[in-house]
Amino acid sequence: MEQTTILQMHEVNKTFDKVKALDNVEFELKSNEILGLLGGNGAGKTTLMNVLYGLYKMDSGSIILNGKPISIPSPKDAIAHGIGMVHQHFLQINNYTVLDNIILGTSVSHPWTADRKKEKTEIEKLCKRFGLEINLDAYIESLPMGTRQKVEILKALYRGVNILILDEPTTNLIPQEVDALFETLKIMVKEGLSIVFITHKLREVLHICDRISVLREGKNVVSLTRKDASDEMLVRAMVGEGMDLKKSVIFSDSGRKFDTTKREKVLTLENVSLVNSDKITVLNDISLEIEAGEIFGVAGVAGNGQRDLAEVVMGIQTATSGSVKFMNEDITHQTTKENIARGFVYIPEDRLSDGFLHKASVAYNLILGYHNLPPYSKNGIVNWKNVNTASKDMIKKFTIKTTGPDDAGGNLSGGNIQRVMIARAFSQSSKLMVAHNPTRGLDIPSMDFVYKNIYEHAETGMATLLLSEDLDELLLISDRIAVMYRGKIVGILPKEKFDKYEIGRLMSGYDQESK
Amino acid sequence: MTGIATFLVEFLKLTFLSMVPFVLAGQGTMLGGRTGVFNVAQEGIMLTGASVGFLVGYTSGSVFVGAVAAMLVGGLFGLILSYFTTTLKMDQFVVGLALFFVGTGLSTLLPKLVLGITLTPPLIPTLKNIPIPLLSEIPVLGPILFNQNILVYVSVLLSILLWYLLFKTNLGLRLRSVGENPKAADSLGISVNRYRYLTSIIGGMLIGLAGAYLPMVYTGTFTELMTKGRGWIVIALTFFGGWSPLVILLGSIFFAGIEVLSYRMQVGGSVIPFQFLNMLPYIGTIIIMIFTFGKSRVPAFLGQNYDRERRTL
Amino acid sequence: MTQIKKSLPYVIAILGAFIAAGIFIAAIQFNPFEAYKTLITTSFRTPNGFIQTLMKWVPLTLTALAFTVPLSSGKFNIGAEGQFLAGAIGATSVGILLADLPAALLIPLVIIAGIVTGALWGLISAWLLYQFNINEILSTVLLNFISFQLVDYVATGPWRDPSAGAPTTIAIGQNGYLPMLIKNPPLSIGVILMILVAVGIYFYTNKTTSGYELVATGANPRAAKVHGIDTRKMFLLSMVIGAAAAGLAGALEVSGVQHRLIEGIHSNFATLGLIIGLISRGKNQAVPFVAFFIAVLEVGASAMQRTMMIPSQVVLIVEALIVIFILLSDLIKRRQK
Repeated sequence: MEQTTILQMHEVNKTFDKVKALDNVEFELKSNEILGLLGGNGAGKTTLMNVLYGLYKMDSGSIILNGKPISIPSPKDAIAHGIGMVHQHFLQINNYTVLDNIILGTSVSHPWTADRKKEKTEIEKLCKRFGLEINLDAYIESLPMGTRQKVEILKALYRGVNILILDEPTTNLIPQEVDALFETLKIMVKEGLSIVFITHKLREVLHICDRISVLREGKNVVSLTRKDASDEMLVRAMVGEGMDLKKSVIFSDSGRKFDTTKREKVLTLENVSLVNSDKITVLNDISLEIEAGEIFGVAGVAGNGQRDLAEVVMGIQTATSGSVKFMNEDITHQTTKENIARGFVYIPEDRLSDGFLHKASVAYNLILGYHNLPPYSKNGIVNWKNVNTASKDMIKKFTIKTTGPDDAGGNLSGGNIQRVMIARAFSQSSKLMVAHNPTRGLDIPSMDFVYKNIYEHAETGMATLLLSEDLDELLLISDRIAVMYRGKIVGILPKEKFDKYEIGRLMSGYDQESK
Repeated sequence: MTGIATFLVEFLKLTFLSMVPFVLAGQGTMLGGRTGVFNVAQEGIMLTGASVGFLVGYTSGSVFVGAVAAMLVGGLFGLILSYFTTTLKMDQFVVGLALFFVGTGLSTLLPKLVLGITLTPPLIPTLKNIPIPLLSEIPVLGPILFNQNILVYVSVLLSILLWYLLFKTNLGLRLRSVGENPKAADSLGISVNRYRYLTSIIGGMLIGLAGAYLPMVYTGTFTELMTKGRGWIVIALTFFGGWSPLVILLGSIFFAGIEVLSYRMQVGGSVIPFQFLNMLPYIGTIIIMIFTFGKSRVPAFLGQNYDRERRTL
Repeated sequence: MTQIKKSLPYVIAILGAFIAAGIFIAAIQFNPFEAYKTLITTSFRTPNGFIQTLMKWVPLTLTALAFTVPLSSGKFNIGAEGQFLAGAIGATSVGILLADLPAALLIPLVIIAGIVTGALWGLISAWLLYQFNINEILSTVLLNFISFQLVDYVATGPWRDPSAGAPTTIAIGQNGYLPMLIKNPPLSIGVILMILVAVGIYFYTNKTTSGYELVATGANPRAAKVHGIDTRKMFLLSMVIGAAAAGLAGALEVSGVQHRLIEGIHSNFATLGLIIGLISRGKNQAVPFVAFFIAVLEVGASAMQRTMMIPSQVVLIVEALIVIFILLSDLIKRRQK
């Protein structure tokens, strides 16, 4: 197929709060191709595409579509130019139906009544054409992630886009759904679309993309075709020279040694169930054991009870039935405060909303959770001198960019906020770490830093409960992997039996559903 | 008709008369809330609407002109609220409270400036009832439902119109999406700002009119702080009504009923000291809130400002 | 130098508000310069003016703290009015019922009664929030209206003073009168109590572990909860402390100034308290200073109405404008970053 350049972006610059997110970036998209936009977190890939989709205004630069310069001040204009985007966090109205979500914002044939027959027929035709099976009258909040993604894709197709941007589309998909997505992408290219595939996963890019463009720290690094690309080349491009690949956890093959000879059980859950305030059973008869020094991974599609499991272990929620034991002590009804005093550390999944105090100072943030324990507090009075000394130490050790302990939390950039939380989590000597998607939002060197810290603490006997939606991460550092589906543990695999597709099957509840 | 029946008819007639401020202000609050703007300035806007409505009605000689003036002032408050929250992105509660102060102070200040200090308060003619031919002849229901002033009819029709608009039209689909997920709406080309400004201004107009109703129908004049907390009750009412026009209409009838009941019990002579009867509407509101808070469906992004360029991790 | 630089936007904001209000005053046909002169200097021209200012300073600081302490945990207490009145009712009741006790007992009892009743009134809203998640703005405001009725009932009931025009109770026992710092013009020791409370609250929020938890809760309740802080308890505690401060103000007004419960005794203290809280940006340590400034304006406003016939509501407009300008200056600071 003869390929022409249909879209170009020249010399794009964008600064956010003193951070240069895009630095003279060049971008080119050809017809009928799948272009991979590759880079670690914070590399600028999503920012660049948000500029293209009209969600961000670039400080300078130009966009050329089919040879003509255009401007895209808002998403409405992007759509008008035939550019659509599927975001990492789906932009859907949970209590609307699939049909309403797709037609929202478009003009309909009967705007003053509720008659949507014409639109429904049109969309059903689209579904057939692109091989997307979906019930248009279902409510979004009842649908699984893979199906919700199809709705996002349909939204774009319904608006007749020629260019579709997908931002980290495989984040919430099991391997089987990833394969289905790739098939859909191939059909779309055959039907004349061009796809921009944003990802940080090497494997995917080499699998599905025709060309690959790598960004790092807001700058172009390299652009090449799949033929010319190789693992090492792309890794180097993504992380640069600063990182010692051989000593890294992610890229070196030196696995850690954890033998499952008898060690003391740190955490034991026996038949734990949790019914929430809406009377839904979110945890269903969970039993598991974690030994000292073990990294126990929990896989599962988002929303299958992972957060509830983390919160029950930490004492934020109390199990409705069953028992939670720490060493041999029953802690089922203990509070979070008591558990933290025992040496529990929690890295919550949603770190901005659950882990950081924007309106308080950096010092306040660094001692959050430990504020009532020595050396920070004694007899109900806070020892600010100790707090400031410890804060200054942490700022140095974890390279947090800030003016000091009294700096307002809101002044920190996103990356430094993450560093504060990593500093807080790893500055304690802990017996149990509950980590939920700990590396989400981190660039590759920071991810590696977290893994190294987990390994180090594991050496001293810390047990880790690692809940993650990133299968690669689980396969990399876990000693065992349990799979959660609808609040149940549907399988626990030892390291020798780690298999991506097997885990994917369990994650999708294949064994649980009666087909 | 027997004594009890007469009492009931009178009671219901009065209730329908009294529901109007609640309905108008409630729908005004609901509209803004549906796009995510949580107005807490109702008490101040209603007071200014009452004050301005009365003063303009008195000086111009036309109650209608007074009502329009009240709506314009209410709309102005809505515009200011929207500007400070939607465009300047200031905290909605704080701005609402500030407007409440300004509205309250203004409502007391204006009569002093326009009329000076008077011994006997000047009066405007109150709204007359408009009986609907034929329908008002029906026994029992006739006098209750079909022999009321024009704003009673407007309130009911408005509620039905808003329900249809919000849930049966494309416009309503878009409007509601702004409050449910502004980022999603924005990404589909729906102007979050435009809908927020629109609902704030129209909402403010309704709230201003609700305030003007008090001098226009109840007393014929403006007295300081005459809303007596109705503005705050309206906020509870909107939660109770699940931010839904028809349920808000029902809830307004219910709250008006409590108000009328406490008044009737005082007039009718009761063992309970009248001060405690006066407390009924407020206590009733608290009890309603106990049963409905947390259970009502609230627009997901109510009270939160939207900034397109704000980055989330 | 940075302290001055930091306060510069606020100074500009206040000046801006005065200029805007000045234009308004001129528009309603009065002389803004004369108005401002009276407004600001009345407090310092005579000893009486100054004492009047101090007398207002006490309830204004306390009702402002009643707003800022709950605000530290993120909650809006609009009920200082009702909590003030509840405290006044409690103080009056004890002062009348136990009038025969010696002063050494009666005075502390009267004060404590005020604090406790105010705290209990606030506890109602706090509990409604804790148990049913009812928005505290609504519950505190509704309770204000209920408290007005309660005051009317008490002031027109068996304790009614028939010789008074407006509903008023008989005086509390002489032994319940707060000792005076200055006899003429009268200034009670209430001002000392107020200062102690303000310092105590500052110490609590900034130096204690519980205070840390309060601030963390207000900064991000979800994050605080996830890290072990009992946020619901913090909401309740902050509301009760705020309500106790308002209750104390009511007790001081009864025991130190009026010596009886008068309908309307709450004046505009609570509204101004809210304004002071907003101008102080929620910072407890700034409250006493801002409150003093507002007290000066209020004393000036009565003088202005008496001598120049300018309605005293005008000063409310000035104060509201100050709030708006300060909030705007915050915005500008945010944009500059």
